[in-house]
Amino acid sequence: MAETSIWVVIPAYNEGRILAETIGGVLDYNRSYNVVIVDDGSTDDTSRAARKFAVHLLVHPMNLGQGAALATGIAYALREKADIVITFDADGQMQPADIGSLVDAVNKEGLDVALGSRFLTARPVGIPLIKKITLKIGAMLTRLRTGLRITDTHNGIRAFKADALRKFNISQNGMAHASEILSEIARNKLACREVPVTIRYTEYSKGKGQSVSNAINILFDLFSRGGK
Amino acid sequence: MITIKVILIVLLLIILRAFLVQKSLLLIKRAVAVLMFAGLLFLVLFPDVSTWAANKIGVGRGADLLFYLANLFFLLVAVALWRRLITLSAAVTILARELAIRNAERPEAKEQSGPTND
Repeated sequence: MAETSIWVVIPAYNEGRILAETIGGVLDYNRSYNVVIVDDGSTDDTSRAARKFAVHLLVHPMNLGQGAALATGIAYALREKADIVITFDADGQMQPADIGSLVDAVNKEGLDVALGSRFLTARPVGIPLIKKITLKIGAMLTRLRTGLRITDTHNGIRAFKADALRKFNISQNGMAHASEILSEIARNKLACREVPVTIRYTEYSKGKGQSVSNAINILFDLFSRGGK
Repeated sequence: MITIKVILIVLLLIILRAFLVQKSLLLIKRAVAVLMFAGLLFLVLFPDVSTWAANKIGVGRGADLLFYLANLFFLLVAVALWRRLITLSAAVTILARELAIRNAERPEAKEQSGPTND
């Protein structure tokens, strides 16, 4: 059997300061990974940071949102005949080693999707309390909406089997895509499991990441466009 | 009383003209616009008619009735524009995605490792 082709999709919007470190980390962890950087219309040197590495670089002509950037990277990876697609954040919160656990879960357990969860580790590190509460509420709402028992609904590190991804329809350009992905998993009845991962809350990522108040925006997006 | 009527009529005609000069406008839309503006002009010239109509349906003043109708109309316009905006942004996303994928920069075969010097 041919080597599994693994594609890591990293959406990046104005991440020029940290992107090199993130890409370097992923490639150092496993050089056989194909890395796709989607520059979502950044106004800084995000693209230039990406060009220093042996990665695929896609550039949106304008800023469309993280969901749109992910969908672009995924569409590209599928056209390049990826076997497994990983979604990964640019901001340095995620550990490249966790990609390995997710890939293993998909490969060895025959899952369609493996989702990273920061709440399954023995001792979750440094999650701000208010963030923890918001995410718990998110998990509860997701369970009501989709029936999926997910502990961490807005974690950006995931592994998908390509065949499963082809059934997906990601229409949410903004941050609500995370809930949308879960709905798609439920709708297509995909085999899915959460895998413990570590999210590091650095000062940089706290500044860049989503504020808790953005949860309201996500709900609004879901309800105003979820009907389609 | 005459002054405000002149002002309103002139403004109405200017707006109607701005609408009708669009070349690619369906005849039905032109007809509806002309009818609507004719109605508005009529109400400007004979304001008592709106009061009469308001009283018929249980509203005190004609101005109030017009206020309610105008509000409803603009809500309708806002919803229609909102929907149009969503359709447009979905189309823009698809275009941007295709553009990004077509212009993808692939890793150069020669350097399979870490940072290169600029």
